[in-house]
Amino acid sequence: MRHIAAVIGLAALAIVQAGGLAWAHHGWSWTTGGNIELIGIVKSAKLGMPHGVLEVDAEGEVWTVEVGQPWRNERVGLTPDHFAPGVELKIVGEPSANLGDKLLKAERIYIEGKEYVLYPNRS
Amino acid sequence: MLAALEALPPVEALRFSRWSYAAVSAGHVLGIALLVGGAVPLSLRLLGFFPSVPLAGLVRILAGTAGAGLALALLTGILLFATRAAEYAGHPLFPVKLAFVGIGAASAIQIHWRYGRDLSTAPKRDLRRAGAVSCLSWIAALAMGRLLAFVDID
Repeated sequence: MRHIAAVIGLAALAIVQAGGLAWAHHGWSWTTGGNIELIGIVKSAKLGMPHGVLEVDAEGEVWTVEVGQPWRNERVGLTPDHFAPGVELKIVGEPSANLGDKLLKAERIYIEGKEYVLYPNRS
Repeated sequence: MLAALEALPPVEALRFSRWSYAAVSAGHVLGIALLVGGAVPLSLRLLGFFPSVPLAGLVRILAGTAGAGLALALLTGILLFATRAAEYAGHPLFPVKLAFVGIGAASAIQIHWRYGRDLSTAPKRDLRRAGAVSCLSWIAALAMGRLLAFVDID
């Protein structure tokens, strides 16, 4: 009886783990899963762990854009200066599934024609 | 005042670090694991489950490790809070989390103050109350803490 319970328990764990791999979207589960493009001007930036957040003015609409952790930004050459108020940028990323949120998680950022890929494994 | 806390050099360094932040965050999780992992089994015994298991030894081990876990969670929690003090202070669930931490801690302090380290002289009524409060408040504190990332400030 105990052995059967142990085997069932382990099997359940294995199944959950396997399913979990497909959902290893830590931090993406709230998005739509597809990409949108946002072009605007930085209003403000609050950088640092656990993740950086920009307020971007896109033709009058204010969007909240999650950018990478400091190490993720640094990895592609982004510094806090790149997110200074007034900087014009294009962001490609996944929006919140609740579209009214005007919330976007950046995958790629374009500043002055240069591309900064925050999440290379995402397209 | 919160902004001043965030701007302290060691706090800023932590906010922009990778592995230091990871370590503090992992320490916070470890503290919670020890705390809840000790408090819940102990609470079950206090509530009267496993009555054949002697109380004194269980209390000494689990209250001790849970207490150490709480200390670790508090220390790391202060550091984590400081990195985004204004944001956490303005979060609707944060005071709720702190309230549950306070209730759990106060209940534990009170019963040990009255009946000592191993609670050997405590009447069953007091043990049951302490077990119930402990179980509910630490699990609630854990839930509130986890939900912080899933609930908006607005």
